[in-house]
Amino acid sequence: MPREVEISIIEREFIQNALQEGIRRDGREFDAFRPLELNFGDEYGVADVQLGKTRVIVRISVDVVAPPPERKFDGVFQIVTEFSPMASPAFEVGRPTDAEVILSRVLEKAIRRSNALDTESLCIIAGLKCFALRADVHIVDHDGGLIDASCIAVMAALQHFRRPDVIVEGEKATVLSTRERDPIPLSILHQPLSVTFSYYEEGNLFLVDADLAEEQVRQGEIIITMNRHGEICQVNKYGGAPVEPLDLLNLNNVALQKVKDISKFIQQKLDEDAKKRDAGGLMAELSAENAR
Amino acid sequence: MTTAGKIVNNEIHLQSIHHQQTQPHQLHPPEHSDGEPETKKQEMPLDTSTYSLALLRLDGRRWNELRRIHAQINTQAAADGSSYLEMGNTKVLCTVTGPAEGRQAGQRGAKDNEAKVEVEIGFAGFSGLERRKRKSDKRTLEMQHTLSTAYSSLLLTHLYPHSTITLTLHILSQDGSMLAACINASTLALIDAGIPMSDYLVACTAASSATTSDSDNSDPLLDLNNLEEQELPFLTVGTLGRSDKVSVLICESRVRMERMESMLAVGIDGCKRMREILDGVVKEYGKRFS
Repeated sequence: MPREVEISIIEREFIQNALQEGIRRDGREFDAFRPLELNFGDEYGVADVQLGKTRVIVRISVDVVAPPPERKFDGVFQIVTEFSPMASPAFEVGRPTDAEVILSRVLEKAIRRSNALDTESLCIIAGLKCFALRADVHIVDHDGGLIDASCIAVMAALQHFRRPDVIVEGEKATVLSTRERDPIPLSILHQPLSVTFSYYEEGNLFLVDADLAEEQVRQGEIIITMNRHGEICQVNKYGGAPVEPLDLLNLNNVALQKVKDISKFIQQKLDEDAKKRDAGGLMAELSAENAR
Repeated sequence: MTTAGKIVNNEIHLQSIHHQQTQPHQLHPPEHSDGEPETKKQEMPLDTSTYSLALLRLDGRRWNELRRIHAQINTQAAADGSSYLEMGNTKVLCTVTGPAEGRQAGQRGAKDNEAKVEVEIGFAGFSGLERRKRKSDKRTLEMQHTLSTAYSSLLLTHLYPHSTITLTLHILSQDGSMLAACINASTLALIDAGIPMSDYLVACTAASSATTSDSDNSDPLLDLNNLEEQELPFLTVGTLGRSDKVSVLICESRVRMERMESMLAVGIDGCKRMREILDGVVKEYGKRFS
């Protein structure tokens, strides 16, 4: 199995010494994200997030299936993660690394278990038909901060996605194509976003959004997922060097500020995209003129 | 009736306000309170309103009481180190193998200059309410990852290059606080195995009792059983020895961020008591050799 290339001792020391002097490798503030870019695809539900050199593409797709018998009134929603070997030579298809398991578990807890998506709204006929929503998370380039980037991408894609409308007559449901009826946005209950803190110096120095080299040097990570209303959806600190409880509480406040900023950014991008799609408005739609 | 945990100047203060006349408040209850009833399998969901009236939980505990903890070390003669731990009805058996040559020495993410910590968790078919075959699902994998990263930084792994320390945990009975029980059992087994580590890693769970988001009177609860875990937002906290420093913190439920402080404070306080109990177990065992 290919192993991730370990960082050289000299680089490790360079990063640590620089951090002691209060400087990050790329000159960012300790609590600053890398430049975040978010683009939507031509289709609904495709989001492409770039966080520095890390790039994640999420695509939402929908299908009609029979709901599981124990959850008659719910739709199905699953998040599938895929680490492409293209992103890093350490990734292999079909053999999940620890990082992949943690990523899919964190996304699952952050988005699915915190009920970000109202799965009841995906029900068509109770016990017979429901929508099965699937979010495919593709890691296209890996330079650290995968969890944060994936979480942003999934939430942006879910907000961007439109599902086809259905008409229900008794036991018969007809799915209408996008030409017949405008597709409907999903009902999103809240928007959880993750902020990963990496810490150094026995838990005295916390960095937001570490890149790959910084991740390899860190003593541990704390993943905090919350929504902009200040509700924590999950906190994960899997071992690593111990930290003071007071610092943990302070990190929550930092995370909240970051989550608010990113939420605003996503909303702004969504609005821009909506405006682009709605070029010309109602008048253009009514006109017989076309692009030819 | 608010009981709030506060973290001031990095020290945990549990303040109990009101309701002293009606309920004698035990900040430090007897550690082995044998008289307390074991958790009963009740069909009814946990009704938090009854808690706020009587200030007693379903199994008759107060907010800051741990369940009955019973632990033994050196239970398996064949293993290098072993332990058996009961936290109420959660029962865990842990064995340690190693430090020994790994199955694939030098491969699979092991660093050359330090030992690798491998963790395997197995659930007995009869451990839960339903008999279900759970082949390593993601939740178990996550627990394994938590234990392995926590102990990699705690054990003095640099003393054993090119080797593997394997922790094998068997869950015999599940009744809440699973991760906490696994951590506590592993700590005991590693002590029995004589693997040097900097301090005890102990863990317990804490919850916030109010389900509505804006009411102020929420009591934090310590050491949850299964029913309480399903009903309330909770976290698992693991601290290092006598210090307040948090090594493991897992919170999987949606909770207001203001609640975190009191939950954390109560959890850390519980960990301190847990450490004393485990320390007692180790010392009791050590007496045999004096």
